[in-house]
Amino acid sequence: MSLKVKNVHKNFGSVSGKGFPSNIEVLRDVSFEMAQGQSLAITGPSGSGKSTLLHLIGTLDFPSSGQIKINEIDPFGIPEPQLARFRNRVIGFIFQDHHLLPHYSALENVLMPTMAFKDRESRKGFPANRRALDLLERVGLSDRLSHRPAELSGGERQRVAVARALINQPSLLLCDEPTGNLDRATAEAVASLLLELHQSEQNILIVVTHSLELAGRFGRRFELEGGTCAEV
Amino acid sequence: MRRSLIHFWRIHLAVSLGVAVATAVLTGALLVGNSVRGSLRELTVDRLGRIDYALVSERFFPIALATDRLPESGKGFPSYFDEPVPAILLSGTAIAANTNARASRIQIHGIDERFAALWNEPGDSNPLGSSLGERETGVGTRPTSTPSLVINTALQRELNAEIGDPILISLEKQSDIHREFLLGSRDRSDVVQTLRLTLTKVVESYGIGRFGLQARQSLPLNAYISLPVLQNALGQGEKINAIFVASRDGKVGKSEDVETLQNALKGAVRLEDLDLTLREGEDYISLESTRFLLQPSIVEAAKRVATEQGLQLLTVMTYLANDIAANGRSTPYSTITAVDVGVDGDSLKLIDGSSPSSLADDEILLNQWTAEDLGVMVGDWVDLSYFVVTPREKYVTQRARFRLAGVVALEGLAADPTLTPKFPGVHDAGDMAEWNAPFPIKLNRIRSKDEAYWDKYGATPKAFVSASTGQRLWRSRFGELTAVRIRTTQEDKGDFEQALLAEIDPAQVGFVWNPVKAHGLKAASGATDFSMLFVGFSMFLIVSAALLVGLLFRLGIEQRAGEIGILLAIGYTVAAVRRRFIKEGLLLAGVGGIIGLGGAMIYAWLMMVGLRTWWVAAVGTAMLKLHISFLSLVFGYFISIAIVLFSIGWTVRQLGKMPIRSLLAGVTDEKTASRSRRLISTQIVAFVSVGLACALIVFGLVSGTGASAGLFFGCGAFLLISGLAFFSVWLRKDLSHREKDFSPTKDFRPTSLWRMGARNSTRRPNRSMLCVALVGSASFVILAMGAFYTKTEYGKPLQKASATGGFALVAESDIPIHHDLNSEAGQFELGLDETVGDAKITPFRLLPGEDASCLNLYRPEKPRILGVTRHFIERGGFDFKAQSGTAENPWQLLEQELEPGVIPAIGDYNSTQWILHLELGEDLIIGDIKLRLVGLLRDSIFRSELLISESNFTKHFPDQSGYQYFLIESPPAQADVLKGVLEEGLDDYGFDVTSTIEKLANYQAVQNTYLSTFQTLGGLGLLLGTLGLAILLLRNVIERSRELATLRAFGFRRMTLVMMLLAENGFLLVIGMLVGSVSALIAVGPHIISPDTTVPWLSLLMTLILVFLVGIVASVVSVFFALRTPLLPALKAE
Repeated sequence: MSLKVKNVHKNFGSVSGKGFPSNIEVLRDVSFEMAQGQSLAITGPSGSGKSTLLHLIGTLDFPSSGQIKINEIDPFGIPEPQLARFRNRVIGFIFQDHHLLPHYSALENVLMPTMAFKDRESRKGFPANRRALDLLERVGLSDRLSHRPAELSGGERQRVAVARALINQPSLLLCDEPTGNLDRATAEAVASLLLELHQSEQNILIVVTHSLELAGRFGRRFELEGGTCAEV
Repeated sequence: MRRSLIHFWRIHLAVSLGVAVATAVLTGALLVGNSVRGSLRELTVDRLGRIDYALVSERFFPIALATDRLPESGKGFPSYFDEPVPAILLSGTAIAANTNARASRIQIHGIDERFAALWNEPGDSNPLGSSLGERETGVGTRPTSTPSLVINTALQRELNAEIGDPILISLEKQSDIHREFLLGSRDRSDVVQTLRLTLTKVVESYGIGRFGLQARQSLPLNAYISLPVLQNALGQGEKINAIFVASRDGKVGKSEDVETLQNALKGAVRLEDLDLTLREGEDYISLESTRFLLQPSIVEAAKRVATEQGLQLLTVMTYLANDIAANGRSTPYSTITAVDVGVDGDSLKLIDGSSPSSLADDEILLNQWTAEDLGVMVGDWVDLSYFVVTPREKYVTQRARFRLAGVVALEGLAADPTLTPKFPGVHDAGDMAEWNAPFPIKLNRIRSKDEAYWDKYGATPKAFVSASTGQRLWRSRFGELTAVRIRTTQEDKGDFEQALLAEIDPAQVGFVWNPVKAHGLKAASGATDFSMLFVGFSMFLIVSAALLVGLLFRLGIEQRAGEIGILLAIGYTVAAVRRRFIKEGLLLAGVGGIIGLGGAMIYAWLMMVGLRTWWVAAVGTAMLKLHISFLSLVFGYFISIAIVLFSIGWTVRQLGKMPIRSLLAGVTDEKTASRSRRLISTQIVAFVSVGLACALIVFGLVSGTGASAGLFFGCGAFLLISGLAFFSVWLRKDLSHREKDFSPTKDFRPTSLWRMGARNSTRRPNRSMLCVALVGSASFVILAMGAFYTKTEYGKPLQKASATGGFALVAESDIPIHHDLNSEAGQFELGLDETVGDAKITPFRLLPGEDASCLNLYRPEKPRILGVTRHFIERGGFDFKAQSGTAENPWQLLEQELEPGVIPAIGDYNSTQWILHLELGEDLIIGDIKLRLVGLLRDSIFRSELLISESNFTKHFPDQSGYQYFLIESPPAQADVLKGVLEEGLDDYGFDVTSTIEKLANYQAVQNTYLSTFQTLGGLGLLLGTLGLAILLLRNVIERSRELATLRAFGFRRMTLVMMLLAENGFLLVIGMLVGSVSALIAVGPHIISPDTTVPWLSLLMTLILVFLVGIVASVVSVFFALRTPLLPALKAE
């Protein structure tokens, strides 16, 4: 498993205050590489392009120029249906807001990514179920399996989101401010959980955060400022 | 408020438009009612011109009554009326001589310029022109060789005739003597009269061309003949049978006018108007009738006057005996008079010079001639035989035995030939052998001595019996006396006549003023209240609009949940916040309502266009126009706003119950205690509804009314409520796995998109419930109504216990038929060239009246009545919906004795319920009689009339003669041939034959058209419901855009999500359709299993598929718009 980001630029078109179109360059010539088992924290002030970079790596957006390769595959050259499958199998997401489905239980929410594709083989013996139960136990929610998001605390919801991100055993786990909405203690617990699972899953973990304290716990740290990236 | 109105203008605009739709539909429905009523009123005024009152008599009377005596000053004729207009009104058949095209049931009017002037404004020319005497050639006019005829365009279309064409008009010959009396003539040549006329003008079918006294919206087939021409042709001299009166100021409805006119008529009537004569004898005057028999009410009046004036009175009944026999000898064809010899005893002298004493019931006096002829002595038995005419027009010989009480000398009263009223064809015959009598005579029995008696004594009676005996033997429904003799001097004759006229009520002899315009305008209120009908038809549309408004308003408020939370948080009371929103709602509803009033007029106009074109079969006229009532606009506006405000108020109230904390967070559907209570109450509603549905079925089965449509419809409605309630409970149920054992061997995932869709529908239970309720109700309405859409099945075997009664054909004749169509003799008499084969023809007497079926928009006051023969009653048949008893053959109920003046009657349920508005056991009052409904037929061919027994018919309507309505049993293969034989053979009787299936199809066409109207408006409601559904779905999808984006981030393809959303919406649609359809099928269960029913399953299935597709299309559109949002903005969306 490898991740290669090479000379990536990202521009957003906008309209200037005088009504003339203008071009904002959010990312400028960003390049780095990561190998399996590595973890990375991306920090920087608001609007520096941290989330944009994460979304580009997660194939949720397209770079304006440059190249991103995941396992030597350029995902942006894959048609939409295959890209969806690629994202489903290779990438896991954790958002600042958990984005759980309110009318499904914690267990069902964790299992949700496994339902994106009909894969009879993977269902044989229900391996996904076993893994979901296992993950929820590992995030400390084995007694909250049937609870709906509204019945869980903020930290618990985020832990469900962590389990959901890992259900398909992604090689690349992307977290966008995963503790941004949590109190300090809960944020600490969620961060520990992430790192612990990263250790056991041996995937590539990239976390965007404002917290330098949290960033310090990751193997590598990039500082984004003015669209350029520098490893700290 | 202004700022919030501007800020949320989109949603407010939508709410206002929703209110506009609700107002437009509700007010529009009221305007439809106004328009139908207004149009019917216009038609009434159009067809009656300036005529306010009409007097139409069964008998002809001198024209002088109308033109001279009635308007004569001092008779009480109101000066604010124009001079009375004389006319002759008859019905008959027209045949175009060139093409043989025939039109039956035409109205024939004998009129002159006075009648035409009733449609003229002052200064207008006669609408009929001078064409009643001349032929229009286009280059001027020239006299015609045959009398002229003017017809209206409706009749012209039927006859396909051109100006100058010869037209044959067949009508009933007038007869003084009732045709069913012994001396009445019934031969075809005596009954049918045909006039050959030349068509000189065709008038449009409006105004005078639409004239008709009966309230009906369909165009009459009118023919106009010059009054003198028709009088001559009918042999009626200067007689007429109708008088019309028009008020000068055009004001109608003065209730006292009828009484005033009736009094004026009483003052103007003379004896000759009533077919009466006061013949002077030596010392008596004799009251006699040109109708042979004196009407009982006249006799009573004469008796009263005689008593008052202290005059001696002798009642006379003279009848014809076929035979007076004794001692093996007989005297043929003799008249016998029934008198009370004790009263006027000195006028009869026995041959010994003594006066006879009163006769016992079994005693007879013979005159000397007859006694000698028979060789009888006092005390001998004398046998009389005579004819009576049975109801089936057969001469039946009856016999009576008397003991000879004396022999009277042929002098005085015994030698008075005037005891026998004059009878044309007999009285004036030189010899007995030349008698032109309607009854069969064996001429070979007439001896020379009989001729000698005839020569010497004429019709002088040969025997006398007591008055009571005569009345017992020869009384008929037409009377029981031929004369009343009053012993008086000639000087007193004038006094007696004046007193008698003062005593006679013209109404009792059929001279009644009918306020035709007032009745017509009253009847224009309609048999069916079209306002309520269309409110009913549009109810689903109105409810849909109200729900949509509530929904839109709720969405608007949900958008502003935070605002409400802040207002409450800073100290506003819940009531104040509610008021704030209600005010907004009121303003929006007010504005929307005003827009809706414009829409209402467009809606009503469209409905009028629909009724004139697509649904014309339901109303039968293309003359309906839009009429706008200010009152309806105001009423509709406020009712609509009230409905909408209720919907808005309910929404605001619900939101006011939410915790402030939730509102601040923008949450509007958090679980609250009240929601839990509501869940419980919903469960109770669900179970109670099921219980009630089951109870109704059990009640139906136990009480034997299992097939009651009302019961099943109620059951279906309860099931619909129950189904919706159960689904509401399901939506609010927690569907997550609650098992303690989360075994890894189990699959906890929703295993399919369909299941995911179903689960997703629980996210917003209220919205999902609204969708299912709308779709379910729409399906229920469409299926329940559609199942009644009847397709006529031709060629199906005719069942006796069915709508047709097993009869293949139904016929009506313009001229009554008195002969038995089943017998060869009857067919011979009627001149039928071919026999009717195996067919059995059941005749019915017919009292003309208004059509009581759904084909008539006017409310009938005096419906057609059929007299049912004993034979038909015994035969039975037809399908009864209800009866007041448990008779195996409910027709027998027609013969039961009810209280005096009450006649048992049977009618068709559809007509009695919806047109006459009568239930089983209720009475319809016609004049001084009451028709009590003792049985109701189901969907029968008798929808235009009520049925009573023949005996009651002849008793209460004695002037009606013969049979004019026929049901014919015939093998289907022979029906067409038989139709041709009867129509051709009896063409001058105006005999019209229709297949019973065709007749039913005509009624069903109206029913189907109403259903189609209902379905169309239901469809519009569904469209509105679908619009609501689309808005809901769009809103749902927009609200969930972040969730959907998350799923896409996890690898869900856009198409997968589309399918998931469609599965969700499809699930709601299917549930709604299932709940609605199953309930509807149970509701119409009895109708479906009825053997006469053919449910249009295919079209219903197609309709349901259409409902589903419309719903899916709405879903696709909303999903398409929602998923256009790019992934990242959706993920970031707040």
